[in-house]
Amino acid sequence: MTRADIHCDNIQKSFGAVETVSQLSIVFKSGQTTALVGPSGCGKSTILRMIAGLETPDTGSIRIGQETPRQVARRGGLSMAFQDPSLLPWRSVRSNIALGAELARKPVDRVDELIDLVGLVGFSDHRPAELSGGMRQRAAIARSLISAPDVLLLDEPFGAVDAITRRRLNRDLPPLWRERKTTTLLVTHSVEEAVLLSDRVIVLCPRPARVLADIPVDLHHNRALPETNAPAFRDLAMRVLTALEEAA
Amino acid sequence: MAVGRFIVTAVVFALVWEFLARAQTGSMIISGPVAIAEYLTNNSGLIVRAATETTTNAVLGFLWGNLAAMMLAVIVTLLPRSEWTISTLALLVFCIPLIASGPILRVLFGPGPGPQITLAALAVYYTTFLAFLVGLKAVSQNWTDLMGVYGRGRVATLFTVRLRASVPYLFVGLQIAAPAAFLGAMIGEFTGAERGLGVLTLRAMRGLQTDATWSLACVSAGIAMLGYGCLGALRRKFTPHAPVILFSPKRLDLGRSITIQLIGFVSVVGLVFVLWQGAMDAFGLNPFFAKRPGDIFRFLSEPAHLNTLLAALGATLAYAVPGYLAGLGLGAGLAILLMLWPPVARATMPIAIALRAVPIITTAPLLVLAFGRGFTGTVAIVAVMIFFPTLVACLQGLRQTPAQIVDLFESYGASRFQLLRSAQIPAMLPALFASARMAVPAALLAVTTAEWLATGRGIGVLMALTSSTSDYNMLWSCVVVLCLVAVVSYAFVAWCEKKVLGIYANEQLA
Ligand SMILES: Nc1ncnc2c1ncn2[C@@H]1O[C@H](COP(=O)(O)OP(=O)(O)OP(=O)(O)O)[C@@H](O)[C@H]1O
Ligand SMILES: [Mg+2]
Repeated sequence: MTRADIHCDNIQKSFGAVETVSQLSIVFKSGQTTALVGPSGCGKSTILRMIAGLETPDTGSIRIGQETPRQVARRGGLSMAFQDPSLLPWRSVRSNIALGAELARKPVDRVDELIDLVGLVGFSDHRPAELSGGMRQRAAIARSLISAPDVLLLDEPFGAVDAITRRRLNRDLPPLWRERKTTTLLVTHSVEEAVLLSDRVIVLCPRPARVLADIPVDLHHNRALPETNAPAFRDLAMRVLTALEEAA
Repeated sequence: MAVGRFIVTAVVFALVWEFLARAQTGSMIISGPVAIAEYLTNNSGLIVRAATETTTNAVLGFLWGNLAAMMLAVIVTLLPRSEWTISTLALLVFCIPLIASGPILRVLFGPGPGPQITLAALAVYYTTFLAFLVGLKAVSQNWTDLMGVYGRGRVATLFTVRLRASVPYLFVGLQIAAPAAFLGAMIGEFTGAERGLGVLTLRAMRGLQTDATWSLACVSAGIAMLGYGCLGALRRKFTPHAPVILFSPKRLDLGRSITIQLIGFVSVVGLVFVLWQGAMDAFGLNPFFAKRPGDIFRFLSEPAHLNTLLAALGATLAYAVPGYLAGLGLGAGLAILLMLWPPVARATMPIAIALRAVPIITTAPLLVLAFGRGFTGTVAIVAVMIFFPTLVACLQGLRQTPAQIVDLFESYGASRFQLLRSAQIPAMLPALFASARMAVPAALLAVTTAEWLATGRGIGVLMALTSSTSDYNMLWSCVVVLCLVAVVSYAFVAWCEKKVLGIYANEQLA
C-alpha cells in the first residue's frame, strides 16, 4: 500500500456570495482515521465532497499522495457513504452493495461477508423501498466498503442507525479499516463516536469553516475498542465537547 | 363486477347510438352499430387488408420514430452542450405540419409505403424525445455524486443510472406515441397511397358513403386505442407509477438576452436551409420535383404566386385561429369547471386521458358529416384536436397546486372560487401555456387535413391541387410558408406565456 496522505493546501470554496471554506490547510495521515465534528452547516460535507473530487476548491489544491482526487477516484481508490444512502431503487440490496465494486472496477467477491457485517442477512434480495432508513444506511456503508478503497469518506454514516446496531458497527468497522490501512474521514455529530472510532478529532467552526481544535486520540494502542468510561476517554470527550461549544 | 358494469355501459351506449342513427336516417349523418356491423361483414376482406397495411406502416414508423427520438435524447444527455441546438431543430421539424410534408415525401419516395412510414415516425418522435429526455434528466444528484466518487463519467452514468431511471417516462411517451403513429400513417395515406384505411376513408368521404365512413372511422380509432391500451398494459407491468409529464419543451431560457436567443434561432433556421440544400444535392435529387431554397425564393418573388399563396393562407388561418382558441378555451374552461367538483374531476380524468389518445383525424370525416364542409365543420375539427390534450394538461396543472397553499386557504375558510382564482388558476397557467405551444402545430395539422379532405379552400386544398398538377414550386412554397407560420406562432405563444407568467404565476413557478 502506497503512503497516501491527503494534503489540503489553502483550500477555499464559496457558494455564491457565501464563503463556506476559507484558507483551510490540513494533512490527513495515510492509514489514520480522522473524525470531523462541528455545528450543522459548517462545511463538513463540503470538505468531504472536495476530497472526493465532486467539487473543486475555488483556490488552493488537494492532493492524495501524488495524485489528484479525480485520479484516485478514477482508479477506484476512493469511496464515500453519503448523508443520504442514495441506493438505486431498482436494484436489490445485494446488487446495490455489489455496485460499489463494479463502479470501482474491483472484483465482486465479498458481498455476503459485508451483508453479514452490516447485519442485513436475510434482506439481500429486498429492494431499498422495503428497508427501514437505518437498514438503507447500512447497505450504503457496505457499498462503500466493498471496493476496499485507499480513502474512505463517511458522512454521518450512522445517522439513522438504531443504538444497538450502531454500537455493533462501532465495534466491527474500525478493525476493518485499520487492517487495510485505509485513510478514513468520518463526519459525525456524536462526540463519543468521534473519540471512540478515530485517531484524531478535528473540531470545525462555521462560516467559513476553520480548524478550531485538533485533538489527537491515543487510545488505540491495542486492537480492542477504548473503554468509554475510562478517565482518559472522558477527558478527551470533554475536550472535544468544550471546543464544540466554543464553535457553536 | 367491473366487467359487468363495462358491458352494461357498452350496451346502453350502443342502444342510444342506434336510436340516434335511426332517428337521423334521412340526413345521412350517423350510422348506427347495426349498419356498421353490416358494412364490416360485407367488406371484411377489404377492411382487413387495408387495416393490415396501415397498421404495418404505423408500427414501422413507431419503431423508427422512437428509435430516432431515443438516440437524440441520449446524444443530448451525453453532450449537454448540444441540447439547445438539437432541441430547437427537433422542435422546428415538429412544427412542420404532417399533411404538408406528405405530398413532398410522396414525390421524393415515389409510390409505396415510404411516406406513410416517415409520417408515422414524424408523428411520434417529438413526444418521445421530450418524455425520454425528462426521464434521463430525472436523476437525483445523489446518484451522479455516487458515480463521481468512483470517477465514472457520463457514459457510465447513462448506463448505470439514467437509462433505468428513465423507463417510466419512456413508457408514458411510448403510450402517447402509439395512436400518434397510426395517425401519421393515415395522413400519409391521405396524400396519395394505393392501399390502406386512409385511402378507403378518402374514397368513402368523397362518395358520401356514410356507412363506410363510420365503419372506417371506428376501425381506425379502435386500432389506435388498442395500441394505446397495449402499451398502457406494458407500462403498468413494468412501472406501476406513471410520472406526470407536461408534453412540452421548456420555454427558452429566460436568463438569456433576447439578442442571443434571436441569434441562436436564426442560426438554427440557417442550419435547416443548409441541411435542406445539402440533402437534396447529396442525394442528387431531380430539381424538377426536389426544390431547393433558392427555387422557392425565386418562385415567391413573383407577386402573382405570392398572392395566390397568401390568399390561401388567409383562408386557412380564418379557420385555424378560431378553432385553436375555441379548443384551448373549452379545454381550460372545462378543467376549471371540473375542479369545482373534485369527485367529477377525478372521474373525468381517466376518460379524458383515454380520449386524448384517439387520433382525432380518424374521426374528422365524422365531424365533416355532422357539421358540414364549411366553417363550422373545419373549426370543430381544429377545436376537438386541441381540446383533449388541453383538458388533460390543465387538470394536471390544477392538481399541482401546492398542498400547503390549499391548506392555508382552507384554514382561512376561503371559498372554492377564491381558492380557484388566487391559487389554482395561477398554478394551472404553466400547463395551459405548455399545451398552447404544443397546440400550434396540431391546429395547423388539423386545419390543413380538414381542408385537404373536405372544404375546397385554403392552403390544404392548394397543396392537394398542386400535388396532383405537379406544380412543385407552389407545393414546396406552401410547405415552407406553413412551417414559417407554425414557428412564428409558436414563438408568439411562448412570448405571451413569458409575459403572462411573469405577471400572474411567478411565485408558483419558483
Ligand atoms: N451546492 C451548494 N449550493 C449552495 N450552498 C451550498 C451548497 N453546498 C453547501 N452549501 C452551503 O455550504 C454550507 C456548508 O454546507 P455543508 O453541507 O458542507 O455543511 P455540513 O457541515 O455538512 O452540515 P450538516 O452537519 O448539517 O450536514 C451551508 O451553509 C450550505 O448552505
Ligand atoms: Mg453534511
